[in-house]
Amino acid sequence: MSEKPAYTKPLPDLRPEDAPFWEAMKEHRFILPCDDTGKPFWYPRKYAPGTLSATSWSDATGNGTVYTYSTHFIGPSKAYKGDPPHIVALVDLDEGPRMMTILVKDEDGYPSLDPENVQIGMKVKIVFDDVTDEITLPKFTPAG
Amino acid sequence: MAEGTPDIKEARRMLGKGICIAGVGETEQGIISDRGSFELLTEVTRTTLDDAGLQLSDVDGIVTAFSFVESTLMHSTTLADYMGMKPGYFASVAVGGATAPLMAVQAAMAIDAGLAEVVLCVRGDNTRSGISSSGMIAMAREMSHGAYEAPFGLTTIGGYGLLAQRYMYEHDIPQEALAAVVATQSEHAALKWNAMLRDAVTVEDVMADRWIATPFHAMDCSLVSDGAAAFIVTTEARAKSMKKKPVYITGIGEGFSHQYISEAESVASVRDGLGRAGRRAMEVAGITPQDLDVAEIYDSFSFTPLIALEGFGICGPGEAGDWVMEGNAKLGGKLPMNTHGGLIRQAHLGAMHHIVEAVLQLRGEADDSDKTEFNGGNHQVPGAKLAITNGSGGILAATSALVLSSEPPSAA
Repeated sequence: MSEKPAYTKPLPDLRPEDAPFWEAMKEHRFILPCDDTGKPFWYPRKYAPGTLSATSWSDATGNGTVYTYSTHFIGPSKAYKGDPPHIVALVDLDEGPRMMTILVKDEDGYPSLDPENVQIGMKVKIVFDDVTDEITLPKFTPAG
Repeated sequence: MAEGTPDIKEARRMLGKGICIAGVGETEQGIISDRGSFELLTEVTRTTLDDAGLQLSDVDGIVTAFSFVESTLMHSTTLADYMGMKPGYFASVAVGGATAPLMAVQAAMAIDAGLAEVVLCVRGDNTRSGISSSGMIAMAREMSHGAYEAPFGLTTIGGYGLLAQRYMYEHDIPQEALAAVVATQSEHAALKWNAMLRDAVTVEDVMADRWIATPFHAMDCSLVSDGAAAFIVTTEARAKSMKKKPVYITGIGEGFSHQYISEAESVASVRDGLGRAGRRAMEVAGITPQDLDVAEIYDSFSFTPLIALEGFGICGPGEAGDWVMEGNAKLGGKLPMNTHGGLIRQAHLGAMHHIVEAVLQLRGEADDSDKTEFNGGNHQVPGAKLAITNGSGGILAATSALVLSSEPPSAA
């Protein structure tokens, strides 16, 4: 068993209201925040945007469609230096909300998807990347 | 949700007082490592007061922005103290790239409310030379959500890229359309005395440049620069005793569609949100896009002015790329755009230089041929009377627009 190198890329800012999401991610469960009518929204907040009703959480499929993407040849920090290009995408989840993610080839080390293999409208599914002991990031990979 | 519902008549009443810009100034732009942030702001204040024929003691209001280098939570009063002013009105505006036109609106409202009569609006920074790493992080964080965007390696460039790629997909826009914006503005920057990039580039040059984040090559991106610019807002009555012909603010408008790019509903909703700023400004001014002589449109990236031209109704949805490729945005074209080179070729100071350039155009002073030491050229739009200018903060999140006119609103 080789030790994973220390993760030096940006980690999410953690706020108390986000705890249910990150705890579920740690257990490789994908959940979405919902308003009082059961409609899911993104990004997570304690109170639903627009109505300010209390947020509840529901299980989600983790399936979606690429709305748009941008292949990044330069990352936001030194931690990306030497990496191959990474693809930041906005994914429309089957449940409705749109979220940002990064597109990966597969679960085997979560390498970046090759830029020639991405297009708007492609179907993707969630993969759970345990980047640290505490944080699992929702990444997406081509479905099927 | 309720959108802002401004009262057009009330805006006209306020601007009907003859709210105008009576002086402008700008420093050299680029890498100015021998001058600090407040020093640059003071240097440009001197130039701007001189342009208007005023002393510092004539100024009774100050509106500033923010600094990535000098940390202060009270930017306007910190600068007032540095310059030895005791202003009756002070405000620091911080809405990213929308800041400059909002500074003009803030000044107009202060004058209307009787809080001040001569308001110095000044912004500048030694962003390029003096930025701290925490300042850089702050700049990036301004654009992305700390929990649900930043961990995926989003850059500001890529955030714009996400929207631009979807726009290009929906409207079948070629990469050449983005490059045409850069090529057009490079021809203009070649004439502007203080533009950082003075060489004219072609569409092919831009397309061959290295990728930063798709669909943007390096040349599609705005510059990082040191420098300052300023303008003085006052009333027609006060401007009469000043040195230069006033340029009137005849239209103001604002529009918002989202904060984080993940939250943007669609290309159409972003276009509508930012477009509302320009459409309202033109409605207040009582003009249509066909009346405009010059457009100084915020250009954080080559894509940015395309969607703004469409949002403002200057072009139809998806038509701005062709419009620029046909040469309409060039000097001599139907509606010359970013006649100073913009953020892509001149310098990046939010929309400050867009306002300064619009004022120079409407005063008939956009000919830099006499600035031989800077190899300046003539970028004047002959007989320009009406201009639109705007700025957008975030990733086309918040937009503010102004219509400027060489004639007072009553005669417009």
